[in-house]
Amino acid sequence: MTDVVVTGIAAGAVYGLFALGLVLVYKATKILNFAQAEIGSFATFVAWGLITSWKFPWLLGALGGLLVAGALGLAFERAVVRPLIDAPRLTLVVATIGMGLLLAGLEFKIWGASPRIMPSPFHGDGLTLGNVTLPPARLLALGLTAVAAGASAWFFRRTTFGLAILAAAQDVVGVRLTGIRLRHLSAFTWLTSSVVGAAAGIVIALSLGAFAPTFLNGIMLLGFAAAVLGGMTSLPGALVGGIVVGITQAVVSHYWISVAGLVETVMFGAIVAVLLLRPRGLLGRLA
Amino acid sequence: MKVRFPTLLVTVLVCAALPPVLSRAGLWGFDQYHALILCFGVTYALAALPLNLLIGYAGQISLGHAAFLGIGAYTSGIIAGRLGLPFTLGLVVAAAVGALAALVIGLPALRLRGLYLALVTLGFGLAMASMVFRLRSVTGGYAGQAVPRPQAGTFVFLRNADLLAIVILVFGLVWALDRNLLRTKVGRGFLALREDEEVAAAFGVDVPRYKLYAFALYGGLSAVAGSVFGHVVGFAQQESFTFDLSLLFVVIVLIGGLRSRPGVATAAFFFGVTPRFFSFLQGWELIIAPAIVMFTLVRHPGGLGQTFAEVRGLRGRKAKAKGATRTDDDESETAHASLVLPRPASAQELANTTSLRAKADGGAGVPLEVRDVSVRFGGLVAVDSASLTVDGGRITGLIGPNGAGKSTLFNAISGFVRPTKGRVLLHGTDITDLPPHRRAALGIGRTFQQIGLVKDLTVTENLLLAQHRLAGYGAVPALAYLPGVGRGERDLRQRAEETLHALQFERFAESELRELSHGQQRIVELAAALLTAPGVLLLDEPSAGMSPAAAEALAERLLQVRDELGQTILLIEHHLPLVLATCTTVHVMDAGRMLTSGTPSEVVTDPSVVSAYLGERVA
Repeated sequence: MTDVVVTGIAAGAVYGLFALGLVLVYKATKILNFAQAEIGSFATFVAWGLITSWKFPWLLGALGGLLVAGALGLAFERAVVRPLIDAPRLTLVVATIGMGLLLAGLEFKIWGASPRIMPSPFHGDGLTLGNVTLPPARLLALGLTAVAAGASAWFFRRTTFGLAILAAAQDVVGVRLTGIRLRHLSAFTWLTSSVVGAAAGIVIALSLGAFAPTFLNGIMLLGFAAAVLGGMTSLPGALVGGIVVGITQAVVSHYWISVAGLVETVMFGAIVAVLLLRPRGLLGRLA
Repeated sequence: MKVRFPTLLVTVLVCAALPPVLSRAGLWGFDQYHALILCFGVTYALAALPLNLLIGYAGQISLGHAAFLGIGAYTSGIIAGRLGLPFTLGLVVAAAVGALAALVIGLPALRLRGLYLALVTLGFGLAMASMVFRLRSVTGGYAGQAVPRPQAGTFVFLRNADLLAIVILVFGLVWALDRNLLRTKVGRGFLALREDEEVAAAFGVDVPRYKLYAFALYGGLSAVAGSVFGHVVGFAQQESFTFDLSLLFVVIVLIGGLRSRPGVATAAFFFGVTPRFFSFLQGWELIIAPAIVMFTLVRHPGGLGQTFAEVRGLRGRKAKAKGATRTDDDESETAHASLVLPRPASAQELANTTSLRAKADGGAGVPLEVRDVSVRFGGLVAVDSASLTVDGGRITGLIGPNGAGKSTLFNAISGFVRPTKGRVLLHGTDITDLPPHRRAALGIGRTFQQIGLVKDLTVTENLLLAQHRLAGYGAVPALAYLPGVGRGERDLRQRAEETLHALQFERFAESELRELSHGQQRIVELAAALLTAPGVLLLDEPSAGMSPAAAEALAERLLQVRDELGQTILLIEHHLPLVLATCTTVHVMDAGRMLTSGTPSEVVTDPSVVSAYLGERVA
């Protein structure tokens, strides 16, 4: 049982990281960002290309991927989000769907549908805890998630810029009147969430070994589950939600592997239960 | 009775008859392949209409659309395929199963709104696609479930053109249902709850029930579309009904233009047809199409529906020399308006609906009594043991500084907040525990500080919405648009026209409410509230945003309403001249408590009232 839980936590950390990006955007703009999965997988392809074809050192290649993700986030914000600032949220949600489809189309066109192998920068077997061995990729995910969660919590609680982003989500006019540039806030949000999503994508590709276009779609749905469990606006909540999702997934698929789709169904039940009984999520505070 | 030419019916029949005829005549190279592609196009249009109903009309979001399509396809597969029963039975059972499933999803919708609800539907779609549709015993598992070609007696619809005829017939049926919906109280109820659930409830719309209606209709019609989809593909398999398909349909509805039936159907048709024509683009279509989608959203957010409306508007403008336009000149616009509206033609009928209303018209008892009501929000006491009575046929004032708790008390009376303590009595009957729409039905009418109407409906449509509970027909007959419904609608429409005439607002009849100035909207709101024939009318700052002159005209009109209709009114107002001119009794609130009450002249000279407004004298 403990082994299953440890595996679950390690997997869940990645969902938490991905959920962090989703929560960032939702917190600041009340948009469900369906483009995050494809921004992440596009970045993963770029990193892979830089490392394998251009012979970049692994870390530089990964950074290149993150850079492209950030640029995509910024471009989307500039070209779509900003003109639609006063539009209903649903319009923007659909725009993120469009962005995701566009990037998926590009991935298929440029790199094709066949799976690619993500080279690993690590040597060695990783860390052994009891009967479970956590491969280096999993450890990286845990570390990244912890750092990202800590950094963003600090950012939103302690910096003026972070507080301004939260304020803008509540009252756009009020923030404008204080002289803060809204466009900077919005651009920053999309930049960071895209980079976080891309980091999650690269780490997931690394721990899966292989990846293909749209490989993050399933993860994104688990990420949304994690975000809801965490209350949709809570950053530490997203992290805890991710770990709960990871453990659930590990336990369900370990003990009832024969029942196809049970993980998703249990997750659906959990989402409904949380939303109905405790809409602010496991860790969320009242708005 | 005038028999109207059944345009829709004839159009659908002709369209359905064309493909079989064309294909047998071998005209225009109309072959199996083309017919099949058209089948896909029409099926997509059929599948998009229910989602437009849910999102565009009722304002609820579903990200699990594919699951409902899947439910339909599998149900038809089981009924018509495995059990060998008629395909029509398959359609009916599919509708029932889909509606039931949607009700289950709709239950959380009673507590959740917007994107949270979207996440529940997303989870539902996911669970269906990854589990239920894979259960071998139910759906044939990964192998899928064959859905045979429809069969009528010994005739099998093997020819694609014949199948297309069936698809078009079902599409016509759903189109007609959708149209009927929108021209009755059911559709107006949906649109109202999309705009503002409190406004809907104030007009007597049972909000929870209407949400469930919307979900049930959505689920049922989607499943019908899914079952047609199954017959067209010939197969139901789990991979067909994934999350991607759900997203695609949300995209379609937005590109088509929320609420626009022709726009959504056209967009869906193209999405159903084009992938099969543009495969020569070798993957580029997967890049071009989303780019067009995003471009449309940014540059043309109303979608195809907006384009259609603009084209029609252009033609309309040429035909009519001039249209009604907004004027900011409130005083002259509203000076001649009379708020003394024709009483509902069926006033007696109305009065008989409940004994309570009969009593109201008889004038027995105190119309409205608030006894010792308190409202708490967490630690904040907004209303603290407030009591007041409202006399019949009089205008009673409720004044007090901002934040005194006046509007909260209004909400406690009309049912939007539950008092923590105390009772509200309407003609001696305790209504404290009733939901808002039931109170509206018993005769509580109200206006809101923000205009309590639906901004993107026309003035006429808003006046029809106001008569929601006077429409004497049920939701099911409304869908079929039975003769009784048409008669009922004509009555409502006539009353709306008379109202417009009394207001001298005839030229705004077809203008969207948002095109009117604030003062004009206020007048329409008052008229709408009076149209509900309320026993007690609660007015929340009716003169807010009006010029002093317009407020003076409003005072005259309120007196006229009181004298000629005998209307009982409770009035929240900051504009003291209006209160002095109209009210018999005035209650003063401060910091949640009733400070004092009396005649207007007594109240305005009361030192405690003066200090509540102006603050204590500094010692």
